[in-house]
Amino acid sequence: MPDLQTITVQPSGLETHYYRAGNGPPLLYLHHMLGMVGWEPALDELSQSFDVIAPFHPGWGPAKDQLPEVATNLDIVLHYVDFLDALGLDAVHIAGISIGAWMAAEFAAIVPGRVQRLVLVNPIGIWDEQAQGVDPFAQSPARPTAVLFSRPELRASLLIGDRDPMEAGISELLDLRAAAKFMWPIPDKGIAQRLPRIKAPTLVVTSERDSVVLAPLGEQWRAGIAGAKLTTLPAAGHLAELEQPAAFAALVRAWVAEGKIAQPQVAAATA
Amino acid sequence: MKFHWFNLMPWPYLPDDFREKHRSVWVDVDSRLYDPVKGHRVYNDYLDMLEFAADLGYDGIGVNEHHQNAYGMMPSPQLMAATLARRTQDVSILLLGQSIAYYNPPTRVAEEMAMLDVMSGGRLISGFPVGTSMDGNYAVGTNPATLREQYQEAHDLIKKAWAEPDVFTWNGKYHKLRYVNIWPRPIQSPSPPIWIPGGGSIETWDFCAANNYNYSYLSFSGYLRAEQLMKGFWQRMEELGQEFNPYQGAFAQQICVAENMAEAQRLYEPHVRYFFERCLHVYPGFADAPGYRTEATMRAGLMSQVSGQAGGSAVAHELSWDELVKRGFILAGSPDDVAEQAEQMSEKLRVGHIVCLLHMGDMPLDKTLYNTEMFATRVMPRLRPLWSEYEDKWSPHPLPKDDMATPRAVPGRRLEPGKFLQPAPAGTAGGGA
Repeated sequence: MPDLQTITVQPSGLETHYYRAGNGPPLLYLHHMLGMVGWEPALDELSQSFDVIAPFHPGWGPAKDQLPEVATNLDIVLHYVDFLDALGLDAVHIAGISIGAWMAAEFAAIVPGRVQRLVLVNPIGIWDEQAQGVDPFAQSPARPTAVLFSRPELRASLLIGDRDPMEAGISELLDLRAAAKFMWPIPDKGIAQRLPRIKAPTLVVTSERDSVVLAPLGEQWRAGIAGAKLTTLPAAGHLAELEQPAAFAALVRAWVAEGKIAQPQVAAATA
Repeated sequence: MKFHWFNLMPWPYLPDDFREKHRSVWVDVDSRLYDPVKGHRVYNDYLDMLEFAADLGYDGIGVNEHHQNAYGMMPSPQLMAATLARRTQDVSILLLGQSIAYYNPPTRVAEEMAMLDVMSGGRLISGFPVGTSMDGNYAVGTNPATLREQYQEAHDLIKKAWAEPDVFTWNGKYHKLRYVNIWPRPIQSPSPPIWIPGGGSIETWDFCAANNYNYSYLSFSGYLRAEQLMKGFWQRMEELGQEFNPYQGAFAQQICVAENMAEAQRLYEPHVRYFFERCLHVYPGFADAPGYRTEATMRAGLMSQVSGQAGGSAVAHELSWDELVKRGFILAGSPDDVAEQAEQMSEKLRVGHIVCLLHMGDMPLDKTLYNTEMFATRVMPRLRPLWSEYEDKWSPHPLPKDDMATPRAVPGRRLEPGKFLQPAPAGTAGGGA
């Protein structure tokens, strides 16, 4: 398991914390509303085919105190431009999930020349009155993120694990706070209008049991991006890479490496 | 010790099965439970209660702000304060308060507060709460990750708008104004007294110390549960070098006075239960948006104002009357009983301002006036001398008598003090204000 690394990006001076491991073309992984649970199994799987670079967004996880430094989607895009510059990388493949998929789409729309292939899993950012999904920020404080899983009990096994419950609970709320900063009260900051700017070959993925980003939204993302394909990840909830790491990695690998849509082999969920 | 008469103006017609059939009294409460025709009388009864309290010599009469709920029906406390300013004299208008982070531009708040201070002849107390998560984040839509920053900017802008005689520019993060120059200006200079209502938030305590504001703990869990929190507040004040003054603290307490304990229970218990069971029935997912509490506050294990309330209510609605009294959720009994409990409260909390909650839940008008007058005439005099050795620096400084306008006499005022004391009202349960 790779160590968490830190690099200072310019001109913001923000310290950026990231994991990096694997061989192959560089793949930038942009995480979901709850950051990363360390070097996750899905990342490990992807590192067999790619040079996986997985940063924490400013405001999440170890970067929690940087939240005041970013206010808009544009701030995030510029941060990742700076981050790639700091790593000496020109163009990369990007796989984003949840709010990370939104950031990936913004990045691909604003700096299309720096994105090769794009995978957007359960992307947040398009609002449809008819497909609102549940409000991820109006949940019981006792289990604030259970709704992000296909079955609520998966929160304990996949997210909390053996961490101290008090500390895990605080970090959950701090990650949700960061997500809320960009998503409150309705996550629609105009990405739908910018989707036609995306040039990268794009695969849109929706999880079958995601109650936050409902499946019908996938079609709107696909239709907005020229040539994009759409597929479904069976059995998973919103945090698909935690629930179905092998199937998630297979979808990303097949699309990025071969331009194909993998037929996911779904594992029986473990609680 | 000073006494302020305050009620939340709850909707008194929530059905008996409200808890079972509805998930929340706030945010997404079914609007079909509201009836504007009944609401007309409810508002007028509630305003009568406040005016009646002013006649009886309470130091202040209080109003506050909540949105999209049946718990407290004052989306605009300024509207209530405006009518009270015209129909009362001498009494402080305790506007506790206006959630300043919600308004764009915040100069609107500065203007309305200034209007009230001028209309009332300098009787305004200006409360600046951060506001509950239900109100600010879910109903009004303020971002919880930036709420406190917006609050701070609104505060700084309002204070400057009141005090700065020259036109100034405001190039803030959330507000940009090329010309700030509010008219009218408040009578009380540089500002009306500022009270900060809050739950247990360390940042709020430090803010009160830095600005020498009154900290008002608006709990509904009673004085015994508040003891630890107020101890924390006073300790923090000491750490920050503030000289102790009980009038820098205020506490809200539910109070039920009758000739004896049995009579108090008979008269008031249904309404106390209505409050705890129905008015505090908040869906937990609306109580505490992510980011609403700061990390430091979470780590200190302190609850937000209303998740604290909801936590309290989760206990309170299961308690017997005796337990509610024993645990301090309510001060209750004969005038002597209540005075003794209040003395104990004063000793434990060391606060000089008591926000008296003498109307609860669906308590009707006659009982409320009875309770209000019993407390004013038979309890208050005994408590008055408490803390009299300290100077109250957090009450208004109204105009001298000679400068005070006399509003046109109110014709046919129907509620005169005295007539509600004898005989004690019949114990009709429920049925509205």
